[in-house]
Amino acid sequence: MISRWQQFAQSSFVYSFRNDAIAIASAIVLFACLTASFSAPLIAPFDPYDPMQIDLMDSETPPLWQQGGDTRFFFGTDAQGRDLLSTILYGTRISITIGVFAVLLQAFVGISFGLLAGYVGGRLDSLLMRVADIQLSFSTLMVAIVTLAVFQVAFGTELYERLAILMLILVIGIAEWPQYARTVRASVLAEKKKEYVDAARVIGFKPSRIMVRHILPNTLSPILVISTVQVANAIVSEAALSFLGLGMPITKPSLGSLINSGFEFIFSGSWWITIIPSIVLIILVLSINLLGDWLRDVLNPKLYKD
Amino acid sequence: MALLEVRKLEVQFAFREAALTALRDVSFSLEAGERLGIVGESGAGKSVLAFSILNLISKPGYVSRGEILFGGLDLVKLSREEMRKIRGNRISMIFQDPMMTLNPVLTIGTQMVEALKAHQQITNAHAKEIAINNLAQVQIPAPEARFAQYPHELSGGMRQRVVIAISLLTTPALIIADEPSTALDVTIQAEIIELLLSLCERNRVGLILITHDLGVVSAVTQRTLVMYAGRLVEDAPTREIVQHALHPYTSGLINALPQYTSPGQPLNQIPGVMPSLHNVPAGCAFNPRCPYVMDICRTTVPEYTIKTNTRVACHMVAQQ
Repeated sequence: MISRWQQFAQSSFVYSFRNDAIAIASAIVLFACLTASFSAPLIAPFDPYDPMQIDLMDSETPPLWQQGGDTRFFFGTDAQGRDLLSTILYGTRISITIGVFAVLLQAFVGISFGLLAGYVGGRLDSLLMRVADIQLSFSTLMVAIVTLAVFQVAFGTELYERLAILMLILVIGIAEWPQYARTVRASVLAEKKKEYVDAARVIGFKPSRIMVRHILPNTLSPILVISTVQVANAIVSEAALSFLGLGMPITKPSLGSLINSGFEFIFSGSWWITIIPSIVLIILVLSINLLGDWLRDVLNPKLYKD
Repeated sequence: MALLEVRKLEVQFAFREAALTALRDVSFSLEAGERLGIVGESGAGKSVLAFSILNLISKPGYVSRGEILFGGLDLVKLSREEMRKIRGNRISMIFQDPMMTLNPVLTIGTQMVEALKAHQQITNAHAKEIAINNLAQVQIPAPEARFAQYPHELSGGMRQRVVIAISLLTTPALIIADEPSTALDVTIQAEIIELLLSLCERNRVGLILITHDLGVVSAVTQRTLVMYAGRLVEDAPTREIVQHALHPYTSGLINALPQYTSPGQPLNQIPGVMPSLHNVPAGCAFNPRCPYVMDICRTTVPEYTIKTNTRVACHMVAQQ
């Protein structure tokens, strides 16, 4: 009898992963980003949130390899004298956190609505899907900009700065749920016609149980695939909002607000404040997307490539 | 008291243009432990009848008239919650294709334990014990190992055994089997049918066997209902049906069996096809295909003629 682990190691899933150089590379990069950013308090040379460690005299120090570089600051410092490497590590952590939780929220709302719409059908289906259409007809950024701007004006920047992470998660989460709802609904409509659903009804299960326990697991592969894309999208949305000054405050910067904060200095020669966080953002999003592409190919056997 | 008594059941499908009557004036009864066969061509209403007993006709179908008495309860009038307690508990159903009826992402064990827990307050360990016991009862080798496997790891015959084991979990009084052997290959068919028969006999479970295989019906059932275009045309002990069917449709079905044709000859067929429910002919629905058609058949729906154990809806039989 082979163990579960051996069974997993021999599966076609693992096999196709091991034979896909891009998938391995992006998994390694992503894993490195994740470990580095989430162990930031341990490995970062400075704590960018601690004003005591910041000296304004150090501001705009170029990276180590450039003339005028300082051995203490590998990537140089930003306009306030914060070590850029530490700030990027902390900022990546914030970006990933917002991305993942926003997608969890999207998934929760979208999957519930999609399951209900697909399984119950009829008027509820039409209602939920029209709500989804309306939601989709506003672009994510527009909804986010309006909501966040109104919040800042109504409750003041101080409260906003404290709740920024939560607000971004909420706004990005709510704005993108229809992606999930549509995908799940489409799979549910296909699954609902299969006989095992009839069999489950004949056994006398409650509709809620049939939806969650019997149909949902059968719709997981498209959910997994869009989840990767959505995490990347959410990180990009957050960066865009922060770049516009509506995201994370500069005292607790995410990658987007870092890019923004350096933007005004780019012509005075301090390119690194903008460019280095941008490269990190691109690498992060690219590795998630490439991994998502691989996952889509593996989970959709109809898409065999030669 | 009969275990199941269906009285003047009428099922309609309400479409936008018109309501179609899928079942009309269907009455029959089933004693505890009795085995009943329902035969007829595709579209005769066999499956609709099965689903209407479980109150699971898919929309826009609904029971428009009649009663379905099960143990004295009218299933048509039960609330959803009350019906759910009967479904899968007192009445089980076995479907045609075991490849499709088991959930592909759950293990056999999970599905069995779930089915038990849906109807009984029971611990997981106890449920597992019952499940493995039932798997052994349907002659599945190494039931403990099968318990942890997924449906795709089993063959078609094994899966149908699992389905039967699930249907017997809650010791139902009635099992409705909708073509349980059609999707299996011939040698497995015989095994499954034999298994079903012996289990029903041993546990005194009533069985409604829906099929178009008259061979299976004659091997398993005590009584047979023949359906045509949503109506019962003949209700008789199975032996009577096989030996001397009264209704021309029934005898047409029997004559169509390959063993009634001499070698080298084309098979006997009933000419024509069953009418669609959109345009059922006036009078007896079978009249356009009937070799003995009379004038009255084209105008008047035949009443049931009752002879000792048999009911037949045919003008010719009535006049004999």
